[in-house]
Amino acid sequence: MGRPTKTPPAPAPVGTSRRGFFKRSGAATLALAATPMLPLQAATPGGAFRHGVASGDPLSDRVIVWTRVTPPTQRSAITVDFVIATDPGLTQVVQRGSAKTNPDRDYTVKVDVARLQSGTTYYYRFTALEQQSPVGRTRTLPAGPTPRIRMAVASCSNHAAGYFNAYRRIAERADLDVVIHLGDYLYEYGPNTFGSLRTPEPQGEMVTLSDYRTRHAQYKSDADSQEMHRQHPMIAIWDDHETTDNSWKHGASNHTPGAGVAGEGDWSARVNLALQAYYEWMPVRLPDVTRRRENQRAFRFGDLIELVMLEERLSARSQQLTATLTTPFGPNTGFVQFGAFADASRTLLGPLQEAWMAERLRSTPARWKFIGQGVMFAQLKLQGGPLAAGGGVFFNTDQWDGYQPARNRVYEIFKGNANTAAVNNCVVLTGDIHSSWASDLSQDPNNANATTGGYNASTGEGSRAVEFVTTSITSPGIPDPGNGLAGQLLVINPHFKYIDFNQRGYMVMDITPQRVVGEWWYVDTVASISNVQTFGTAFETQNGSNRLQPSAQTTPPANPPALAP
Amino acid sequence: MTTPTHLLRQAGCAALLCASLGPALADDFSFSGQIAFHNDLVQIAFSLIEPSNNVRIWTDSWTSGLNFDPAAALWQRIGADSSYSLLSQVDDDDTIDPGQGFYDTGFMLSSLSAGQYRVTLVAAFNAASGMQLSQGFAWDAEAPILLEQWNQPSYDPNANDQKRGFWRVNLSQVSQASVVPEPGAWLLMALGLAAVAPLVARRRTATERITRGTT
Repeated sequence: MGRPTKTPPAPAPVGTSRRGFFKRSGAATLALAATPMLPLQAATPGGAFRHGVASGDPLSDRVIVWTRVTPPTQRSAITVDFVIATDPGLTQVVQRGSAKTNPDRDYTVKVDVARLQSGTTYYYRFTALEQQSPVGRTRTLPAGPTPRIRMAVASCSNHAAGYFNAYRRIAERADLDVVIHLGDYLYEYGPNTFGSLRTPEPQGEMVTLSDYRTRHAQYKSDADSQEMHRQHPMIAIWDDHETTDNSWKHGASNHTPGAGVAGEGDWSARVNLALQAYYEWMPVRLPDVTRRRENQRAFRFGDLIELVMLEERLSARSQQLTATLTTPFGPNTGFVQFGAFADASRTLLGPLQEAWMAERLRSTPARWKFIGQGVMFAQLKLQGGPLAAGGGVFFNTDQWDGYQPARNRVYEIFKGNANTAAVNNCVVLTGDIHSSWASDLSQDPNNANATTGGYNASTGEGSRAVEFVTTSITSPGIPDPGNGLAGQLLVINPHFKYIDFNQRGYMVMDITPQRVVGEWWYVDTVASISNVQTFGTAFETQNGSNRLQPSAQTTPPANPPALAP
Repeated sequence: MTTPTHLLRQAGCAALLCASLGPALADDFSFSGQIAFHNDLVQIAFSLIEPSNNVRIWTDSWTSGLNFDPAAALWQRIGADSSYSLLSQVDDDDTIDPGQGFYDTGFMLSSLSAGQYRVTLVAAFNAASGMQLSQGFAWDAEAPILLEQWNQPSYDPNANDQKRGFWRVNLSQVSQASVVPEPGAWLLMALGLAAVAPLVARRRTATERITRGTT
């Protein structure tokens, strides 16, 4: 069990990581505003299935169903039976089967149920140790002509930072086909390090296999998380906190290599442990069991959407560079695209994944190409400037801004070249930064002349794709009273159409062949259990436009499949 | 699905009290091999000359998923007509021997009368179809699937394991034991003999011709 003598990590110094600043500055504020230590949420009932059920990675003919069995005493093999039906009462059974689990899998159960019908809602239940699990609900992806898809998009669900009210709101929606989670599904920190509303288990940073498993178990014990997983299939990727903060291929800012009191061991070994627990506890299908870091996957929603989910941390990412310029945020908070920042050998995806994504985006017959990924793709500057004048002062070295040549290679896919056609209708979905952003995507957004590769902010001309960034489920962002900071950034960065730092919640994407609408939905608080949510705003992109325009709240389809009882 | 072995143990106690075990008439055996298909059947015959209170039978080949997940059944010969009746059927029991893994199987038999027995080994859980061995197993009618192309129900999708067919069955304190050739193996042997027979005959004929000096 962990390392009992380990002290909580000190907050990373501001300046090494812009994203750390985003996250921690808000944490301190929230901690001050909160009442001292709210009582813990009531424990979920005991029993064999206390961690609920989940489903994920749906394809047109299969979906993964997941649960975890808690035996009363240590057991070797446990046989788990399951049933899949087309009705909530489980009377119209289409498959029965069994699986097993054991201590080496932390008693988790993962079944990839095949031979299912496309675009169909299913209900499922597990039985083990003479107990029944709750009934779960899931849905396969459509095949062929697909008129409409609705998905929720989530990220940054920090148990210590607050209650998962947003998950509960997602669970209550019967009108969703799938939930996309863009990472930071769980956080590694010990108590009062990043969030103090709930106490992490174990009470220390997760480093060992037991630590990672215990933390996953705590998240899967949360009633709101359980309900979200029970009602919808999830397509999840990790960001950094599933291992530790600001991870990259060979390390992380929150990893201290080596032995000794402060040492957290070998990075590669730690990643292996983190991923073992991740794959045990998440309804995720491994693309290749021998290459566990390469978690990128593709999902086809009939002829409507090709969704690629990217791996941007562990398989290839080059180490983050350090910002060295002084900005209004303080010293060492800005950088320009020179020197190492212009090094084309630095990468987020690695050549294999870049090629894989390019092939997927170029060859798919689907109308929309969705790119689900971790860190903001759009440029974010504290001081604007056209590319010809250096491009201005950037802020976050952990985002694509810190990997500009690699980002340019993605733009080459969007734009096409002499050998390959342009790829239109690309929609980037992003999480990570605990705030909401809508953006046109341009390589030179501060150059108003679209004919020279720039971007016309009033018409959107020059935009090559669009990006929707979802806020966090709970993780605190920068407090921005009166939205003053957001207003300033909108002026400096004309490609952003919407920025909000203050609200927690999720997005709903409503997709038809004609347009993609992104809605931001906000909960009123994460400091206590609450049922209040409000519609924030909506933007959309029209077929063939590659740019955003204001939109309105969509109307959910009538008569969606019943939620699981 | 599992006949509790403790019933066997209890049933055996009375007999044990009456029985006077003589000098060691028992030995330990270990058999191993490969199966190729998901519904393959391994049979091991063993006998007890005298009643025993310490027969153990177990697999130790699962090896954390390196090989298929085995299930075993124990059958006793009834009468002289070679019919075997089911005594017990176990999918998982790793308490027989320290060398076992979670999904290995086996029997701890605290009382077993003298007689002829069979142990059958299948991929879990190709259950016996009835109380007689002649009734076969649940997956007998299925088209065989190569193990490396089969996702055994108990496999771990995170490891894509249990794709190999190595098996090992250990028997402790039985009188005699041997692997029963598959019916297919008998057929192959018969075919082999059939193929060899004409050659032998031809060679004999040739030899005779040479001996007789005919050309």
